[in-house]
Amino acid sequence: MVKELLRTLIKKPVTRKYPYERREIPERFRGKIVIDYDKCIGCGLCARFCPAIAIKMVFIETSKGKRRKPLVQVYRCIFCGQCALVCPRKAISYSKEFELATYNKEELIVEPRPLKGGDESGSH
Amino acid sequence: MCSEYIEIPVGPQHPALKEPIRFVFKIDGELVVDVKPRLGYAHRGIEKLAESKNYIQNIYLFERVCGICSAAHTTCYVEAVEKLLGIEVPPRALFLRSIIHELNRIHSHLLWLGILAHEMGFDTLFMYTWRDRELVLDLIELMTGNRVLYAYNLIGGVRYDINFQIENQMRKVLDYLRERTKYYKRIIEEDKLIRARTVDIGVLKKSDAILLGAVGPTARGSGVDMDIRRDDPYAAYNELSFNVVVYKEEDAYAKTMVRVDEILESINIIEDALSKMPNGAVYVKTPLKVPEGEVVSRVEAPRGELLYYIKSNGTERPERVKVRTPTLANIPAVCKMLSQAYIADIPVIVASIDPCIACMDRITFVDVRKGKVYTISSRELREYAIKWYKERRREC
Amino acid sequence: MLSPLMTLIEVFIYPGVLFIVFISLILEWIDRKVYARAQNRIGPYYVGPHGILQPFADLLKLLAKEDITPDHVEKLEYVLSPILILYLSLVGIFMIPTGAWGDGYSIIYFEGDYLLVLTLATLTTVFIFLSGWSSLNRFGAVGSLRALLLIAGYEIPLFICAAAVILDAQTLCLSKISMIQEERLWFLIKQPIGFLASLISIQAELERIPFDIPEAETEIVAGWLTEFTGRKLALMRLAGDVKLLLFSSLVVTLYLGGPWFMGQANIVIFLVKIIIVAILISIIRALFARFRIDQALSIFWRYIIPLSLIQVIISLFVR
Repeated sequence: MVKELLRTLIKKPVTRKYPYERREIPERFRGKIVIDYDKCIGCGLCARFCPAIAIKMVFIETSKGKRRKPLVQVYRCIFCGQCALVCPRKAISYSKEFELATYNKEELIVEPRPLKGGDESGSH
Repeated sequence: MCSEYIEIPVGPQHPALKEPIRFVFKIDGELVVDVKPRLGYAHRGIEKLAESKNYIQNIYLFERVCGICSAAHTTCYVEAVEKLLGIEVPPRALFLRSIIHELNRIHSHLLWLGILAHEMGFDTLFMYTWRDRELVLDLIELMTGNRVLYAYNLIGGVRYDINFQIENQMRKVLDYLRERTKYYKRIIEEDKLIRARTVDIGVLKKSDAILLGAVGPTARGSGVDMDIRRDDPYAAYNELSFNVVVYKEEDAYAKTMVRVDEILESINIIEDALSKMPNGAVYVKTPLKVPEGEVVSRVEAPRGELLYYIKSNGTERPERVKVRTPTLANIPAVCKMLSQAYIADIPVIVASIDPCIACMDRITFVDVRKGKVYTISSRELREYAIKWYKERRREC
Repeated sequence: MLSPLMTLIEVFIYPGVLFIVFISLILEWIDRKVYARAQNRIGPYYVGPHGILQPFADLLKLLAKEDITPDHVEKLEYVLSPILILYLSLVGIFMIPTGAWGDGYSIIYFEGDYLLVLTLATLTTVFIFLSGWSSLNRFGAVGSLRALLLIAGYEIPLFICAAAVILDAQTLCLSKISMIQEERLWFLIKQPIGFLASLISIQAELERIPFDIPEAETEIVAGWLTEFTGRKLALMRLAGDVKLLLFSSLVVTLYLGGPWFMGQANIVIFLVKIIIVAILISIIRALFARFRIDQALSIFWRYIIPLSLIQVIISLFVR
């Protein structure tokens, strides 16, 4: 034990000096949700299967008329990935963003923004 | 305090406990004369909540019963639902499930080793084991996308497959971990101070272990030879070869050695599974509505036998889910170990059963005299408690 | 010894109270850094260059917190104990030759100051007991009792090793003891067993792992420190650091030649030696787990006291 201790004294420490140093994030990581609203068909399966009841289906005006699209309250999200699994058009994926703390709850909503020429995915 | 003994409360907030539980010790100098446990501080109403979510949402709910043994909880739940549905899971998925299960066990035991060292005041060993545990967490993140709460098991299989890159990384990390674990084993066997704090401390005789229903390493450290992976195989364990680690010394040292050896066994199991893994799919689609029936499923969580009982009524939501976690089964055993112990040994003894209070708290009142099982509303409980304390104060 | 103004400066500024407090906070930083590096961590890093101002920041923070005196405590002892513990430790250092003015003498010196230093150190432990006991808290009571019980372990070997050194040096004055080592060999080489026994007894007196039994965090919350907060806690922690300085400098004076090196008595030499001893104490702290009180006492009575007795017998014959 003594040898190990003395050796560790001169080794470099393993502490990472966050936030000045960040680590690489692997590809399967589930960060903040990203919805491709063009692919979405409004089936509502994501809202039905969300364990945290974080997804609501809302109606928005598009050029093709009223459509149902998901609105995600990221502050309720548990980052489980069930919505991405169950979406039939693979419109849901994940970014690598995880530093989501904020003073303003409205920043953490992912919602569709209606635009003149079609749907537009948007996040605040 | 009207008795001649000093009563020392440990918990619900105490530096020795990582989770809230209350013990009231009656002490005489440094000796513990009596101990009364009080549970329920981490009760969250999970079983009731499960009745209002469908089976798929419940996977994520039960994963969060305990952050350290979350793979065991999801494995148990998912196997139970699959039994009710009567479907065959592809064998590759079963092997992957076992790998995650064993990785979870390694991480849990390394965490526990650090906590035991910390309870003994040995912070250096605590830092070293947790440094090595980081490697396991990074490996799990490579495989599942998250370090804790993996969301890896699904009803009908697992979520991701592994590729060559992940497999190579896994083998490298496992080799390194094997060397480190052997080094820790040597320290525990040779260091006189660790031996002085664990040998002949917290003795649980084999007959008591069986009588009080101890499970997991707590029982295996007292010579009771039981392991669900061998006795009632689940996932891929009927095709994997491993040893069940049993020590006869009955003290905290035996329980420590059981867990350290289990880390080495888990490393062997994972390498065995990697080499025997069959090809194929990792997931089959399952219907959402589960046919009527009742099922009990057990797994060997890192702390012992974990039991799920599910009753379904043909809809997509369960009618009743009951979870019996290993720490609950070990509480009577720890009370027996704590009587006639020194105060200074309390942290080590409580840590030696690897308490996971978050897993443990599901309260139901059983009135043994009347033979009834009932639950009280919180208002009735409050009135009952006030009345009880008033009477007790009058006695003094 | 000199004009009253010089005495005032000596007592309060250099090498008096201000200097002692400054150096003991630096020693706390060294202790935390070495402890952290032994565990593969960084330790204090952000406050000041490489975290050297961290102990100062901690002290200032505690001084600024609200000072609560619970209703039910024994007020006099509760309020006085922190002050007295700090005061006694500070006075102890006044008798250690620091080489501050290049002459190898301490602020106060007389024949017998060695025994006074040891007695003052034990008195601090008595006041530690009083502080825990007066706070009328179960954890405080258990902690204070353990602190008193521990005295039965380390006090005796400390005095016996002192006797060995006194026999060899033929003087009871600390300044003279360090001067004598300059002419002859360091006592470290002549009395290594005594050095070892003293080092272990000092670990117990300072209540450090493996002997931090009275303050065992995982067993009795904070032991005798439990009910203290705000300014009183600041004084207690500062007293702990000053005691570390006191005992490191005691070891340096007795066994490592004090502030003397190559015929010169210099404060820089003194500080370098203290830092080496402090690093040694920190490494011991990182290396072991915590003893139980009965195991600690048995270690002292079975091994350390016989070792120190052997040392005395040897020093009777070898001069």
